[in-house]
Amino acid sequence: MLVSKEDFAKYPFIIGAVDYVKRLDLKTDELSQPEFSAIVTRAEARIEEALLDGIIKWESRLGYDIELLSYPVAIIFVSNIADNYLKKRYALAESKRIQALLKEDVDEKLTEIAISIFGWKVKRLPLEIYQPFDFSLSFIDYLRNAPNFHDFRWKLVNKHLINGEVFLQKDEFSRLISEEVRKHIENTINTSPKVELNPLLLQRIEHIKQRLNIRKERIRIKEQPRNIISAAYPPCIKNLYDYLISGQHISHVGRFTLTSFLLNAGMKIEKLIKLYTPISDFNQRLTRYQVEHIAGVRGSGTKYTPPSCETLKTHRLCPGPDELCSRIKHPLAYYRRKIRMIKK
Amino acid sequence: MKNPRKFIIQKFTEYYRDNANKIPLPTSYKKREFGFILSDKGIMLRHKAFSEPRFFRDFIKLITPSDVYHSAAYYKHPSREMGKKEWIGADLIFDIDFDHISTPCTEEHEYWTCELCDQAGVGKQPSVCSQCGGSKFKMVAWLCETCLETAKSEALKLIEFLVNDFGFPPQDVEVCFSGHRGYHIHVERDEIKQLDQDARKEIVDYVQGTGLKVSLHGLMPVSRKTGQKIIGPDLNDPGWSGKIARGVYDIIVTYNLQQLKEINGINKNIASLIFLQREKILKTWNTGNPWGSIKGIGIKTWEKLVEISVVNQAVSIDTVVTIDIHRLIRMPLTLHGKTGLKVVSIPSKSLERFDPLRDAVAFNEGTLKVYILAAHRFRIGKEIYGPYERETVKLPMAAAIYLLCKRAALLTD
Repeated sequence: MLVSKEDFAKYPFIIGAVDYVKRLDLKTDELSQPEFSAIVTRAEARIEEALLDGIIKWESRLGYDIELLSYPVAIIFVSNIADNYLKKRYALAESKRIQALLKEDVDEKLTEIAISIFGWKVKRLPLEIYQPFDFSLSFIDYLRNAPNFHDFRWKLVNKHLINGEVFLQKDEFSRLISEEVRKHIENTINTSPKVELNPLLLQRIEHIKQRLNIRKERIRIKEQPRNIISAAYPPCIKNLYDYLISGQHISHVGRFTLTSFLLNAGMKIEKLIKLYTPISDFNQRLTRYQVEHIAGVRGSGTKYTPPSCETLKTHRLCPGPDELCSRIKHPLAYYRRKIRMIKK
Repeated sequence: MKNPRKFIIQKFTEYYRDNANKIPLPTSYKKREFGFILSDKGIMLRHKAFSEPRFFRDFIKLITPSDVYHSAAYYKHPSREMGKKEWIGADLIFDIDFDHISTPCTEEHEYWTCELCDQAGVGKQPSVCSQCGGSKFKMVAWLCETCLETAKSEALKLIEFLVNDFGFPPQDVEVCFSGHRGYHIHVERDEIKQLDQDARKEIVDYVQGTGLKVSLHGLMPVSRKTGQKIIGPDLNDPGWSGKIARGVYDIIVTYNLQQLKEINGINKNIASLIFLQREKILKTWNTGNPWGSIKGIGIKTWEKLVEISVVNQAVSIDTVVTIDIHRLIRMPLTLHGKTGLKVVSIPSKSLERFDPLRDAVAFNEGTLKVYILAAHRFRIGKEIYGPYERETVKLPMAAAIYLLCKRAALLTD
């Protein structure tokens, strides 16, 4: 079904497209020759669109060959620059392009991509019976990507789940495929072999790097404040903190959350251990070990961060969100933002 | 008086001597990690792996553990330390334990033991121990019939979720009585082994009803030419939509006026209206649209009823267990060190008829005279024992071992 050059250009990651490009047997050296300059220019444009707009345009006016071939060239460029931000941003922008195309494409193409490229278990639903749903996807495959989306409508609990299958509308299914494509492209970039590029191409790359640096400068995240400001604690932490100082029992996950939060907010280990003193089953040696473990001083050396809002809800540690909570997904994000609000 | 610990170890040794060969090893046991709590020291021995069932069986006969576990996870190198095991996958497991379920009987089975001496008692812990003057106590969970029943009905609810919603074949859903306070449910299928923690968390949220948004299940006001109308899910809808509808239906059928009035967030007049119009609402449930059938019952009221129905339909599980992809779980036919009962695997079809206090008894022979410090009423097998306080009683072995394991009794000379 996915055999036309148009399909290849739209979905350059599918096996047919990859084979087609392989058969042309182009060498990177040849890319600097004038007959390929349109391809290289489009490749550069792809990356620029990713950086500036966050989405790559579907550019069919130049012809399907240029659109298709500029994709592997762009991958070579991105992989050569080897910048994590660019890699992620590029893969995301490609996936957004693909999502938009999938939504408009015929149902069979969506299922074919899902089945033949990703091995998903999916069925098209006869429209009359299952309205408004178009597809049913195995919950296993659904959960590969849906947990990455934070809107409530993606939670499994808010989906129709019948006999292991999640019922989906076409735009939802397109989004799930495009997320898998995003991971696929990231993986392609990370595993693509390093190629030597000639000076002409390196010049193009230098140009992209400059654009990248401008972009990164703009989004540089401010450093965290040093003093701990308890008025900026999110409701979950406030709750746990109150429990702690009043000597009430806190679950294991609760203690982990509070400890990792306070450590990340900059509290010193000694002060934290002192805080735990009022707890009835307080054991100084064990507490020290646990706190130091979370701080990354012991064990694997990993410094832990508190769980996300989602996870806290699962463990029943979210006392119910306040107004600011609805705009963040992580207690530390709440804290940073609240501090900014207080300082203003 | 003799040390009960030594006696318990001796009985556990006899049990494993006679039964170790019947203990089934889990599938792909070579890729799993095994863990044991050492009877005498009470510490955990982890990272064990066995290349043959007989090595495992010889091992438990040799060390007489108080508790035996295996990992739900599969590893390339199960005996290496955690960071070097190389995780391959994990079964999907659930733990239903009445620690996580609130039952009305908690006060009836509160029990404490002194951490410094062998004193124990029923009810709330004292401020100081009358025997040694110590002030550190351990709260002990008493086996309570009400709690065990609640845990079982939660397990049945969970099985329904796993079979109907998640589509697992019933024969792949293994239920185990833990030997103490609850049930473990274990799904072993290739396609779930790779699920990561985020995916498992979504499954947890699904069975607990966490994050459920009722508007996404169709309950919402819609504008019509004739004015605003409320629509909502149908009794026969699949998944949570149907559960919500059936749950609200149950509330309307079973709640009396007083119970309706006690619902936080529902106006007393509206509670009366629901009660008085109950027949009409129930009738429209079969024929039309119940959510819009009564003027005066607005969206806020329905949302409150849905909230309660979600709590009633959801399953309470230990969230950490399911999400943790390195978890150890108890092995069927091994003993639980806090009760002397055995872990029993139950086909999901037979769970309803399962009686943990009869079917998990490990020590069926002999009697034993013990001095009981204090004990709530309890049942083992068909007999009900107690309550006891400071008395010497001759009990069947299983009942005596239960009290010794709970530190509620001492051996007599």
